[in-house]
Amino acid sequence: MNTEILYLFLTPAIAGILIFLVGRKSRVVAETLALLGTIVTFVIALKIFIATTHGEVLTLYSSQLRMDALSGLIAGLVALLGLIASCYSIPYMRREVEVGAIQAERMGTYYGWFMVFLATMLCATTVNNIILLWVIIEGTTLASIILVGFYWNKDAIEAAYKYAILLTVGITFALFGCVLLYSGASAQVTGGVDPLKLTEIAKVAGKMPKSIVLLSVVMLLVGFGTKAGMVPFHTWLPDAHAEAPTPISAMLSGVMIKVGVYALIRTVLIFYPFYPIVSTLVLVFGMLTMVVGVIMMMMQDDLKRFLAFCSVTSMGYILMGLGLANYLGIYGGIFHLLNHSLMKSLAFFSVGAVIYSTHHRRVSELGGLGKYMPISAVAFYVATLALGGLPFFNGFISEFTLFIAGVKAGFPWATVVAVAVAILNVAIFIHLTYQVFMGEAPENLKAAGIKEVPVMMWGGMLILAFLCLLIGVYPQIVSPILNEATKAVFATIAMP
Amino acid sequence: MQEFAKIISTISLSMIITSYLIIELRNLKYAAYVYMIQAFLMCTLFAIFAIDNPGLYYWAATAFVTKVVIIPWLLLRYIKKTTDREFQPLIGYLGSIFLISAVVILLYRVTHSYIGFVAPSQFATAEPFRTNLAVSLSIFIMGLYCILVRRDAIKTVHGLLILENGVHLSLVTLAPALRETALIGIVTDVVIAVWILLYVIYGIYQKFGSTDTLQLRGLRW
Repeated sequence: MNTEILYLFLTPAIAGILIFLVGRKSRVVAETLALLGTIVTFVIALKIFIATTHGEVLTLYSSQLRMDALSGLIAGLVALLGLIASCYSIPYMRREVEVGAIQAERMGTYYGWFMVFLATMLCATTVNNIILLWVIIEGTTLASIILVGFYWNKDAIEAAYKYAILLTVGITFALFGCVLLYSGASAQVTGGVDPLKLTEIAKVAGKMPKSIVLLSVVMLLVGFGTKAGMVPFHTWLPDAHAEAPTPISAMLSGVMIKVGVYALIRTVLIFYPFYPIVSTLVLVFGMLTMVVGVIMMMMQDDLKRFLAFCSVTSMGYILMGLGLANYLGIYGGIFHLLNHSLMKSLAFFSVGAVIYSTHHRRVSELGGLGKYMPISAVAFYVATLALGGLPFFNGFISEFTLFIAGVKAGFPWATVVAVAVAILNVAIFIHLTYQVFMGEAPENLKAAGIKEVPVMMWGGMLILAFLCLLIGVYPQIVSPILNEATKAVFATIAMP
Repeated sequence: MQEFAKIISTISLSMIITSYLIIELRNLKYAAYVYMIQAFLMCTLFAIFAIDNPGLYYWAATAFVTKVVIIPWLLLRYIKKTTDREFQPLIGYLGSIFLISAVVILLYRVTHSYIGFVAPSQFATAEPFRTNLAVSLSIFIMGLYCILVRRDAIKTVHGLLILENGVHLSLVTLAPALRETALIGIVTDVVIAVWILLYVIYGIYQKFGSTDTLQLRGLRW
């Protein structure tokens, strides 16, 4: 079972290399390889997910690679969304070629980078070495720059440039933080233990000099926080999410920013028992992220930018949970991470369906699409109601968990702010849903003969919508998984 | 290591001077050549530190291949494809030199005086490691300054490279026992990042007609 850690990221990596080698001349070959690669990767990830969320810890190469329930959960999400996004990409990107937005010969490049991007994200969940974690997190950025700017028009290139420069500079701060952590741990570990291992660094977290800890935490928050879309380092996020092809937007928002959070959990949370200021810092950044995100949401007319800022708000909720530093808070943070991956990718996929059918993405240019695209409309309703945090949808359960955790942790002000943001969220989402899918369709859209999207696109949306509803109605189904993931976080934190 | 203290100090000072030149030279090609010299100086420093710690010879060799050969080659290749004249910066020569000098002198003094704040062990507070750490932090800040105030996209890449050199240099003091695999991982990321960034900047040049980042205003709010 342990060797499957290797197959988890080697499978998509090999598929990506094969696509670059043989898939660039034939679109069908590239699509087939990508689809096969994501199916096999999903099967491997599912096996790892089941094993790790039942309490097993997988290790390889003297624990240089290590997967526990948290890694297993995130790897499972990445593989699931990777599979859905690759299916979705086939009709979506073919249409982009048909309308002339992309040249047909570039499809191999798209699928090649897509698979490499998937491989880097999966690899990030497996490494237990602080420098390799940094290398792979930077790898996720490098693998996705070309995908963000894939349309290669003015807006896409601008988004790709901002994405590349901001994340690369941000991650250089994280490198300084990682090196400081490693050097601080090196001075403390004894008996031939490898101070590069995250699990070993965590064991001596309380022995490191306070100045080193604080300096490295600030550097890591800037670095991995930029990756996670934390305010004020979030400015790349709306541009990249909006300008990338929709399946990539779904991957960026659904899972890539979560990989940044994962890195923060592995490197910053280990100091919680010794330096309470660290958790307060995470909480404050979380609340700031949440408030700025919801304010910016209100100012958007472009559907994809709107969803991008909604991701910023949601990252605020996740960081809030992690910053509360109690069991329920971290449980709620991981719960919201899971829910946000499902509901936000669903939202992007359904917005992609709108773009596919209408070629419009401005809210003011849309309306009444529910009649013409009933499946996409249902998917969009589920996504928006879940993101808005309405009862019987998964977003409500995780947000409610966070509200309770805030009060229990002694931060009622955080709960008050979070509730206010949630109310605003509901109002914004109901307004948006009405504008896009209800009412009367504009004449130009009626004349264009809008149709529902193909099954390769709506199939994945229905699966995600079902999961959002299932978790919303019967949250106990994910409780054991979340408990194991939360326990895995606490298991790597040394206690004073 | 004490017998090499003077050479180490001279090379460290030269690294600060080369960072100044990379930032202030308006000809991007010359700035790339100076970057090559700075990278070579860093390799020399690694080689000197390797006398006590032979593992660092690998670092010197890796840094030479990536930072003295590959990265300058990439830079010069893309500068040839675009332009070698830096787009008018936001702050002129005098203002820039005054500002950056003030920041560097202040940071260097603070780091050198309060080295215990960033040094993980007693060993790191002794010379020449103390100077190495102060110089690397100063170079890091100079790189950040270059990224923040320069409007030319290729100059921003130069800033990023200075920033990376600052971190790389600090590894001698902070992580001298770091394995070659980790180091190769770090420098590979840097090379790929520079290559992809230059590729995107070439796209900016083709679509916008220049490498001026102030033109990138299509996406706001």
